[in-house]
Amino acid sequence: MTALNANPSTGPLKAPLSRAKVGMACLIFMESAFFSAFLVTYLYYIGKSPDGPQPLECLELNLVLINSVCLLSSSVTVVLAVRSLARGAMGAFRLWLAVTILLGLEFLLGTGYEWWGLIEDKGLTIQSNAFGTNFYSLVGFHAFHVFVGLVLLIGVFILSLFGCINPKRDHQRVDVATWYWHFVDVVWILVFTLVYIVGRVPQGAAA
Amino acid sequence: MTTPEEKTKAEQLAERAELAPREPLEMPYLRAIPQPTPWPILAAFGVTFIFAGLVTNWVVSVVGAAFALVGIIGWFREVFPHENVEAIPVADCEAVLPPPVFEPRPAKSPRNVVPEEIHPYRSGLKGAVAGAVAMAVVAAGWGLIDEGSLWMPINLLAGTVLPSVGEATLEQLRLFNGVWFATAVAVHVCLSLAVGMVFVVSLPMMPRRPLLAGGLIAPIIWTGIAWATLRVVNPTLEQYISWPWFLGSQIAFGLACAMVIARSTKVRLHIGRSFEDRMGFEQTEGDES
Amino acid sequence: MQWAISVDHKKLAMMYIGAGLIFFLVGGIEAAFMRLQLAQAGNEVVDPATFNQLFTMHGTTMVFLVGMPILLGFGNYLIPLMVGARDMAFPRLNAFGFWLFIFGGLLLYFSYVGADGLYGAGTAPDVGWFAYAPLTSRTFSRGNSTDYWILGILVSGFGSMTTAINFIATILCMRCPGMKLMRMPMIAWMMLVVAFLVLVAIPILTAAQAMLLFDRTLGAHFFDPETQGSAILWQHLFWFFGHPEVYILILPAFGFVSEIMPTFSRKVLFGYPLMVAATVGIGFISLGVWAHHMFVVGLGPVLDSFFGATTFLISVPTGIKIFNWLGTMWGGRIQFTTPMLFVTGFVAMFVIGGLTGIMLATVPMTWQLSDSYFVVGHFHYVLFGGTVFGIFGALFYWFPKATGRLLDERLGKWTFWLLFIGFTLTFMPMHVSGALGMPRRVYTYEADRGFEIWNLISSIGVPVQMAGVALFLWNVVRTLRKGEVAGDDPWDAWTLEWGTSSPPPEWNFDRIPTCTSARPLWDRKHPEDPDAHYE
Ligand code: HEM
Ligand SMILES: [Cu+2]
Repeated sequence: MTALNANPSTGPLKAPLSRAKVGMACLIFMESAFFSAFLVTYLYYIGKSPDGPQPLECLELNLVLINSVCLLSSSVTVVLAVRSLARGAMGAFRLWLAVTILLGLEFLLGTGYEWWGLIEDKGLTIQSNAFGTNFYSLVGFHAFHVFVGLVLLIGVFILSLFGCINPKRDHQRVDVATWYWHFVDVVWILVFTLVYIVGRVPQGAAA
Repeated sequence: MTTPEEKTKAEQLAERAELAPREPLEMPYLRAIPQPTPWPILAAFGVTFIFAGLVTNWVVSVVGAAFALVGIIGWFREVFPHENVEAIPVADCEAVLPPPVFEPRPAKSPRNVVPEEIHPYRSGLKGAVAGAVAMAVVAAGWGLIDEGSLWMPINLLAGTVLPSVGEATLEQLRLFNGVWFATAVAVHVCLSLAVGMVFVVSLPMMPRRPLLAGGLIAPIIWTGIAWATLRVVNPTLEQYISWPWFLGSQIAFGLACAMVIARSTKVRLHIGRSFEDRMGFEQTEGDES
Repeated sequence: MQWAISVDHKKLAMMYIGAGLIFFLVGGIEAAFMRLQLAQAGNEVVDPATFNQLFTMHGTTMVFLVGMPILLGFGNYLIPLMVGARDMAFPRLNAFGFWLFIFGGLLLYFSYVGADGLYGAGTAPDVGWFAYAPLTSRTFSRGNSTDYWILGILVSGFGSMTTAINFIATILCMRCPGMKLMRMPMIAWMMLVVAFLVLVAIPILTAAQAMLLFDRTLGAHFFDPETQGSAILWQHLFWFFGHPEVYILILPAFGFVSEIMPTFSRKVLFGYPLMVAATVGIGFISLGVWAHHMFVVGLGPVLDSFFGATTFLISVPTGIKIFNWLGTMWGGRIQFTTPMLFVTGFVAMFVIGGLTGIMLATVPMTWQLSDSYFVVGHFHYVLFGGTVFGIFGALFYWFPKATGRLLDERLGKWTFWLLFIGFTLTFMPMHVSGALGMPRRVYTYEADRGFEIWNLISSIGVPVQMAGVALFLWNVVRTLRKGEVAGDDPWDAWTLEWGTSSPPPEWNFDRIPTCTSARPLWDRKHPEDPDAHYE
């Protein structure tokens, strides 16, 4: 055969992937599978819950729209934070991170407030009917993930207050950590569409 | 190339050096390995207790959460700001363990034994056509001689995929039916092509006598399987079938197909040959009958 | 203590495998009790409730606490060594995952003492390994045993997921120079696909178990048909996990065969690229076949045909593998060492299991055979004859690498033949009793149905298998004390793990190796005719 020594290439791999990035991508992939189970289940039960409180009468858009805007814009602010960090502008980094955390907190508190209203005024609990079961499980799991993401961001924030974050050394790590936050955001878009738009049909219609 | 025995020790060392070192860019621990640490097991213990609390007592969960928290914080400090690794001095490990030396073995083991020659895949298609025709002739013979209708075997073949055939009366089975005919032709063509390809791939693997294997043994085995299972899978169909004729048609297919394939000129297999080449499409003209 | 805090992938792997083998003995004892009860019609060795616990714990143990950990353990041991890395990508996460598996398993078994609940006595889970709704509702499953089932598996599932992340990161990021994807040992490919499947499938199980937990503890209505829930939904979620899970359990064993078979045929693996393609193909197709476990539910002709067809489809890449292994042996100088015996046994048994699988994928046939002993026969042929044989082959093959000593060949061959004969005795007759109509998961049967002889033979196989396992354990003990010293490369093999000492140092390689072809060690041993020239 010709070209005997064509490719005994032993040089280093061209652009080695960063294991942190791959790990985070895997985590996000896995969480997507987890959420898709709940999303599909929610979809399955839309319109199959004739008794008890109905989505159309329970869910109101005002508050949840404010919450959504906060959460979605926090994705932008966290990008700004990472960019500042990459530039070495620690002040701007802390500022944008703080804004992100506040927006995230608003979302959690807003969700809590909404739930309180649902339980107290509308009498919708996880036991009420299939709608309640699915609503609280799906939205609850999402909120839990927001909570975890917030803990992560707050941790970074505290470290930066103590001057433990070094732009050169750590900006990659912080960047990867914020991927999680973006993921939580994307999941919310799906949840919102499913629960507040698609799901607000009169229950029992399809049953 | 020089044989290994002719190489001096120094040459060998130089060669090894060329094969070995050069740390890649992102190898995380150059000559360092992570230090043992108790935090992961503590965190795992805590997580388990959080869940165990759900079936025992909430206090268990609280304890678990505390453990998990401590574990996670400890773990974090293990990797931040710098990963906690134990450096292994290179000189040391070289002293402990000699680097692997592989005595070059003048072994004469075959790297890769595959059928050195195969039939071009194209001949499988030809064989399929030949087999399909031969089989159709035999089947038609059965229809005309035994059943007095050319359409009978065709309709029965359609019955392998169309449930409605199973409900038809004998009269209907003897008559021409456009849909059934089209179905039967499609089934016949697909199956023939598939079997032709199986033949062309497997015949070079068969010990010496392709005609025996492909023309006799395979049809007999196949007829046996069909005979044994059809009465369970599709009893209605089974009651119409004449097994001697069935076997005959299978043998006709096998012989015709195997004959065509066996007569094709074999192609030599070569590692590194292009795909078209291996498919038998890149032959010079007149290479193949 | 040294072991408890270790993050070394080799130590963790050995603990994985050791713990898996201990659970293997536990699960085996459970099975032995079942076979004892079923040996004769109307036996009264165990009562019906205990029998339900036995088959539930047996199935759950074998899948989650034996199959998964042993295979993941081998992945842990071999991946860094085979791709030429010093450790896994995330060594601490690796330790975390291992301990989650251990604690999860202990939590599950704690139910024997802890799941008192309403009955006031310890009871193990008894709802079957697939825990169908509504049997798992609070109405039918009193006490806490089902909760233990959920939580134990949940926790060990977390462990599997972290390990899968680790596998992917290691395989993608930690390869040594020159180790391109298409030069990786087959095991690395298999483990990559397995890790992908774990990341898709286990979260679905976790989600389903979370729903079930909500149903049972918070009064939610996911799966209880009496309150608008859907029992079928559980089946869909469970089997969406369950079918990829069976491929998680078989693909690593495919990897073992693909490494061991070439070594003892003295040839390269036949059709490496095709093998990779088939593996990836299996990975994807296996996500779309789950409802073949639900044919008797009555999904309707459209879904039944669809899932029947996809299931047939998956046997194509599976068949490709079989032919590739045969092609590997074809014309080779075959050495029937113990590992080779086990992997050839694997191929033969797996083919039988695959064929009965295809029979079961034929919808009308499954209507007849589902939930009978025929199904039990099918999946033991793939799981025992497949996965477990593969594991034994791997144990014999890599034991010298991990310990520096060769397991005794004579005892090894005895082990193989005892296991092989015992296995056939036990599981082959199940096809017959199943076809005769014996349902699975019954604690006894009537005398005049024609089941007796087949059940008796099945039970007779058990002591034979036990003898085989006992011999193996004796072999391990003996070898550790005074076994033949192996040297670095006892089999004259070609993958990187044989290029370091036995057992390897904590840092695996003194120098990070380089890789010039799919068989780096061949190239180093044969500079006159390296593989690099042919790739
Ligand atoms: C050619 C490949 C295969 C096909 C076509 C196939 C098909 C099937 C079908 C249709 C069933 C459902 C039977 C029923 O419940 O009515 C089944 C059950 C099962 N299969 Fe397979 N299978 C294949 C390979 C495997 C492999 C490789 C494994 C595991 C290593 C496996 C493990 C199982 C298990 C555990 C069950 C029973 C689950 C249960 O009901 O508890 N199968 N198989
Ligand atoms: Cu399956």
